[in-house]
Amino acid sequence: MKTTLRSKELTCPSCVAKIEKALKALDGVQDATVHFNTGRIEVEHDPETVHGEDLVEAVRSVGYESRVAAF
Amino acid sequence: MSKLLDWYRSPKQRREMLTIASGALIAAALAAGWLLNALQMRDVLMVAAAVIAGSDIAIRAAASLRNRHISIELLVTIATLGALAIGEYWEAAAVTFLFIFGAYLEARTLSHTRKVLQDLLDLAPATAVVLREGQQVEVLAHEVEQGETVLVKPGTKVPVDGEVLEGRSAVDESAITGEPFPEEKMPGAPVYAGTVNQAGLLKVRVTGAGADTTLARIIRRVEEAQEEKAPTQRFIERFAKWYTPFIIILSGIVFLLTQDIEFALTVLVIGCPGALVISTPVSVVAGIGRAAKSGILIKGGEYLENAGKITALALDKTGTLTEGKPRVTDVVALQPEPVLAGGSAMMHSSNPPSGGQGSQWTAVQQEVLRWAAIAEAGSEHPLARSIMTEVEAEALGTIPASDTFDTCTGRGIRATYNGHIIGVGTPELMAELGVHVGYEAEAHLARLQSEGKTAVLVALDGFVLGVLGIADTLRPRAPEMIRELRRAGVKRIIMLTGDDRRTAEAIADAAGLDDVRAELLPEDKLTAIRQLQNEGHVVAMIGDGINDAPALAAADIGIAMGAAGTDVAIETADIALMADDLMKVPAAIRLSKATLRNIRQNVAIALLTVTGLLAGVLLGEVHMAGGMLIHEASVLIVILNGMRLLRV
Repeated sequence: MKTTLRSKELTCPSCVAKIEKALKALDGVQDATVHFNTGRIEVEHDPETVHGEDLVEAVRSVGYESRVAAF
Repeated sequence: MSKLLDWYRSPKQRREMLTIASGALIAAALAAGWLLNALQMRDVLMVAAAVIAGSDIAIRAAASLRNRHISIELLVTIATLGALAIGEYWEAAAVTFLFIFGAYLEARTLSHTRKVLQDLLDLAPATAVVLREGQQVEVLAHEVEQGETVLVKPGTKVPVDGEVLEGRSAVDESAITGEPFPEEKMPGAPVYAGTVNQAGLLKVRVTGAGADTTLARIIRRVEEAQEEKAPTQRFIERFAKWYTPFIIILSGIVFLLTQDIEFALTVLVIGCPGALVISTPVSVVAGIGRAAKSGILIKGGEYLENAGKITALALDKTGTLTEGKPRVTDVVALQPEPVLAGGSAMMHSSNPPSGGQGSQWTAVQQEVLRWAAIAEAGSEHPLARSIMTEVEAEALGTIPASDTFDTCTGRGIRATYNGHIIGVGTPELMAELGVHVGYEAEAHLARLQSEGKTAVLVALDGFVLGVLGIADTLRPRAPEMIRELRRAGVKRIIMLTGDDRRTAEAIADAAGLDDVRAELLPEDKLTAIRQLQNEGHVVAMIGDGINDAPALAAADIGIAMGAAGTDVAIETADIALMADDLMKVPAAIRLSKATLRNIRQNVAIALLTVTGLLAGVLLGEVHMAGGMLIHEASVLIVILNGMRLLRV
C-alpha cells in the first residue's frame, strides 16, 4: 500500500536522506521517497504492521512535522 | 504540563520556542554585559542560549549521522562545541541562534513558493452531494462512483469530473484553464472538479472522481514537474555531496597548519552550502507553480530550463494558427438584382426576409448562400459543413431539403429542388451542367484562390449565381502572438503545414510570418525541425494532430494547445496549455526565460557569497557570528529572489 505524507518543513535537501532512512528503518516499510521540491513523501508499506500515524511519528523523530494526505 | 510536552513533541513549535528562548537569552546576556557589566552572568546566559538552540541542531545532526549522512547541522554542532570549548560563548550563541532562526525564516518563505500547489490541493472540495435513490446524500468526493449523479449548487465547487445532465450555469474554470471568463454550461457540456459553479443548479453525471479527475492529474503533473530535477540542480547536488566532507577536511587542515581553533571552526560554519543547494529548486518550484496558475503545465525543471533557451519556434498551421474549422469568408453575388423571382419568392414565402436581418451579408448574397445550402444540406463534405454552419450562424432561416442530389467527387454537387437545378462546385462541374462561366465569375475565382481560399461556383438553372470563398480563418490573436514571441526573444519562427503553398502563404502573411514550409509530409516536418537544430537553434514546436507527433518528439520542447480534458496531451507534451489561447505560448516562453534567469542569478548569489566568505575568513576579516549572519542572509535572498517569479 502506498501512503502519501506532506510536509511544509523541508528547507534544505539534506533532510531528504535523513527522513527516507528513518522511514525505511520501520518494520513493514518497503520503500520511502522524499521529494524535497514539493515536500511530498511517498511511502510503500504494509498496512497491517505500519499505519499512517506511525509514519508521521517516524518523520517527527528526525525533527520534521508532516501529515497524511489524500493524494 | 502535558500541553507543554505536546508542544515540545511538535518539531515545528519546539523550534519556534527554542528560537525565541535563545534569542531572549542572548538579549539578556548582552544587557547583562553592557548595562550591568556582569561578565560572568553574561557568559552563563550566552552558554544557555547556545545550549538551547544547539540542542535541536545537535539532535538533527546525530539523526543524520546515524544514517551515515554528514549534514550541515553536524558542521554547526562541531563548530558550536568547539567555540564553547575555547570560551567563545558569544560566537557559539550567535551561530546557533542564527542557524535556527534562519531555518525558521526559510521554512516560512519556502512554503510561499510551494503555495500554488497548496492552492491547487485546496481547490478540490472534500465532499459531494450525490443523488442516491432520490435522496441527497453527502459523501467524500473521492468515494463518488462513476455514473452517479451529483448535485452542484450555485456558488459551490464542482467536486467531480462529469457531464451536465440538467441545468444551465456559468462555471468559472480559471483554476483549470487559466481563462478568466466563465464558461456557459448546458446539458451535455463537460465540467471539471475544482471549478466554481457561479449561477444555477447543475445535475452532473460523474465521469471521474478523486484521483481520476483532470484536477488531480494536473496536481500530479505539477508535482512531478517540480520534483523532476533540473540539470543545474542535479549538478549542484552532486557537488554538495562532496562539498560538505570537503569543508570538514579543509577546516581540519586549516587547524593543523595554523593551530588556531577559532579560525578552523569559522571555516566550518561559513562553508555550509545552504544557498547553493536551494538556489535551483526554489526557482523551479516557483516558476512551475506560477505557470500552472495561468493554465500552463510545464513537465519539469529540465523542460523549464530548455524552454528558457528557445531561439526558434515551429508552428503547425491548421488548428494552431487557424481555428481549424473552414468558414465561408466571401460571398460574391453576380446578379445585381434578384432576377430569380421564382426562387426568391419561393424562399421568402417559407422563410420571412426578416430571418436574415442583422446578417453581414446583403439580401442578394443571402440568396446565393441559401441556394448553395439547399444543394449541400445532405452532404457530409467539409465544405458543405462550412456552408451550413454559415447559414445557421447568420440565422438565414430553415433550409428545405433538396428533392434529389448527387455528389460528383472532386468537382462538387448537383441537386434539384422544386424544378430548379442547382450546381455547387468547380468550373468542370459547370461545364458538365452546361453552365457558361463568364469573365467576371472567373476573375472572382482566380482572386479568391490567390488569397489561399477554396472557391466554389454556385449555379441555378443554367446561370452562375455567385461565387463562395471558403477558408480556414486565422485565429484573431495570431498576429499579436507572433509579435509577442519575437519580443520574448524567439529569433526564428517558421510555419510548417501539409496544406498547399498558396493557402499557407495567405495565412502566414496575415499572421505576420515570412518563413513558410508548405505541402509537407509528417517526416518533412521532422526534417525541418532537425535542420533548425543543426543551425544551432533550441527549437520548440507547437502542434496538435497525429501528423505533428514526429516533429513534436524531435523538437527540444513540444507544446500542446487546448489540453484541458485531453489527458494524452497533459501526459505527453513538454508544455501543455490548458486553454485554447494562443497568447499562453509567449507567456510560457517568457516565464521559462525568467525562471532560467532566476536560477542563474541564484547560483551566482550563492557562489559569490560562499567564495566571498571563504576568502574573507582566510584573510581573517570575517568571524564566526558575522559569517553565519551573511550566510543565512544569502539563503533568504535566494528564496526571496525565487519568489519574485510568483509575481511575474
